[in-house]
Amino acid sequence: MRLTRCLFVISMLFTLGAIAQNKSVLYDFNEIPRSLSVNPGVETDFKWFAGVPLLSGISGYGGSNGISVHDIFADDGVDINVKFRERALNTLTPKDEFSSTIQLEYLTGGFRGDNPNLFYSFGGYLEFDNITYWPQDYASLIFDGNADQLGRRFDLGDLKTRGSLVNVLHFGVNKKVDRNLTIGGRAKIYSGIVDYSSTSNNGHLSNTEGQNNLIATNLNTDLLLRTSGLQDLDNASDSDTLTNEIISRALFGGDLGLGIDVGFTYHLTERITITGSLLDVGFIYHSSDPKSYSLKGNTTVEGIQINVLENFASLDRDFWQDLVDDIEAEVPFETDTKSYVSFRPTKLYASIRNDFGEPVGKGGQQSCDCTAGSSDGGELRTKYRNSVGGQLYVINRPRGPQMALTGFYTRRIGNILALKGTYTVDKFSYTNVGLGMNLQAGPVNFYIMADNLLSYNNIADTNYASFQFGLNIISWGRN
Amino acid sequence: MKGVRILCMALLGFLMVTSCSENQDFDQLDNLEITPDYETSIFYVKAQESLINRVAGLSFFTQDFNFDAFEEPFFTKRVLEGVLTYELENTTSKPIEIRLEFLDEGENILDTEVFRMDAAPTAILSRDVAYGATGKSLDIIKSTSEIRLTAINLGDNSSESDLPDPSVVLRSSAKFTLELQ
Repeated sequence: MRLTRCLFVISMLFTLGAIAQNKSVLYDFNEIPRSLSVNPGVETDFKWFAGVPLLSGISGYGGSNGISVHDIFADDGVDINVKFRERALNTLTPKDEFSSTIQLEYLTGGFRGDNPNLFYSFGGYLEFDNITYWPQDYASLIFDGNADQLGRRFDLGDLKTRGSLVNVLHFGVNKKVDRNLTIGGRAKIYSGIVDYSSTSNNGHLSNTEGQNNLIATNLNTDLLLRTSGLQDLDNASDSDTLTNEIISRALFGGDLGLGIDVGFTYHLTERITITGSLLDVGFIYHSSDPKSYSLKGNTTVEGIQINVLENFASLDRDFWQDLVDDIEAEVPFETDTKSYVSFRPTKLYASIRNDFGEPVGKGGQQSCDCTAGSSDGGELRTKYRNSVGGQLYVINRPRGPQMALTGFYTRRIGNILALKGTYTVDKFSYTNVGLGMNLQAGPVNFYIMADNLLSYNNIADTNYASFQFGLNIISWGRN
Repeated sequence: MKGVRILCMALLGFLMVTSCSENQDFDQLDNLEITPDYETSIFYVKAQESLINRVAGLSFFTQDFNFDAFEEPFFTKRVLEGVLTYELENTTSKPIEIRLEFLDEGENILDTEVFRMDAAPTAILSRDVAYGATGKSLDIIKSTSEIRLTAINLGDNSSESDLPDPSVVLRSSAKFTLELQ
């Protein structure tokens, strides 16, 4: 029961809410091949690696900075209506978000070219991401209505949501320029399966004192929802071909896009290193099944208005229908099938790291020959038992860039085990402690990492939870 | 390889089992009440004194208005209670009577609201009519398809008020509570 409940709560968190998670534990954890995914310019020392299909990298994240599952659904005897009003309606603002990302890497690998300073990587993954901001004034309208609130402007711009399901295929090159500098770049092809976004809404709804009648209801609206793929998937679902349609759209039968990742690692001194990466600078052109819905215009309604003297000759007309027609003409609801472009949520990572302690292995070289640097002919760089540093993460979101700061400590135990602990401050939590473990058993590499560990004593009460794990086969080419 | 898979599953299992959750009751969602109050104007009618003077007989204005707002399925299925607010202003020189009749699709009279006002100068007449648990039957509102408005001149057809733009004005608004869940 307990496990079932945990799984249910985790699944609830994932459904809470487009944005990729901050992989603070994975970043600069260069013992793990997958760290290439967050910095194509990471230092690599492998001859080649291959991810175990579907197990090379699985990550998920769900979060809401303003409210937790526990806040609403705790079995505490308090009326849910009281809890919802106190903890959501009266507390949350349009800056509060519900977001989730699930990434499933189904193919990954890498190999060193004839030039030992070049390392090539490739792979593919499925990514679902979604972000929805708390639509405060919409919630007020739904839960309280507009009565007895003369003059209040309900902001229709509070509706901001974005999400997508994308298949990504990528190929990257990592180049050791010299002993101090490693750079990398990766090209991505996006194959969009589903996309929806409604992020540029504006307008308001208000009741004011009427000019003729008691109340004037004013609607000023510029709302737009763009979707792609939903209609095709709906049709496929009706004809029991949903799986085929998803596969088809994932394999270039849907919307196509391009993107790049770039990154670097630079040693300022023997022990101090800076890194940086810019990920998902790209776009998707939605042309396969686009459908947009818009509501745009201005109107003021004071009900049916009849001036008997002025309307004397036409008193038999249908005033109600005329009113409805006028509103629909002034604020038309329109749909169209024009193609559109969406931009991927671009992420920026940066870090500074100080290595200290004894070198790992004899003279800094491990028996597995897994010390940073190229494995064939390149000069190897010493790894140290300890690293400490800080990381910055910034992501582009519908309400502007969002930032997280992370402090970390990495401990390498022999050639087998490396542990990384992190403390992250962001809008979700000030108590986000994460832990990652990388286990190297011969050629088999296994890693697992999770964030916000302090919340695991009551996961339902957390505002944020994430995990990553993966399994790879690595060769350093000498054994 | 097998050992690593076992280790993988064991670690995942450990994470899942050691993570705890206090009791959550998701069935509470069924108890969440969403009952907003919405308010807007319904109709506004203005009859000038010059027009009243031109019409012979008592009734100077009778008209049936189609009014489908209350018949919309979204509304009829969810309405819990409501209040119709009327405001009648008479700046003419004659006493008047306004009769509002709520009709169903078969033009049967469901309810009648009558307003009588003295000749100007007189105060604005305001009236709230409740429907639902503490007022008239909600079925009146749910079944209303038309509103018949009859205005009766209880005075003469010659006098003219000294007030600017003498007329009879009926203003109205509706406030309803809906049960969305």
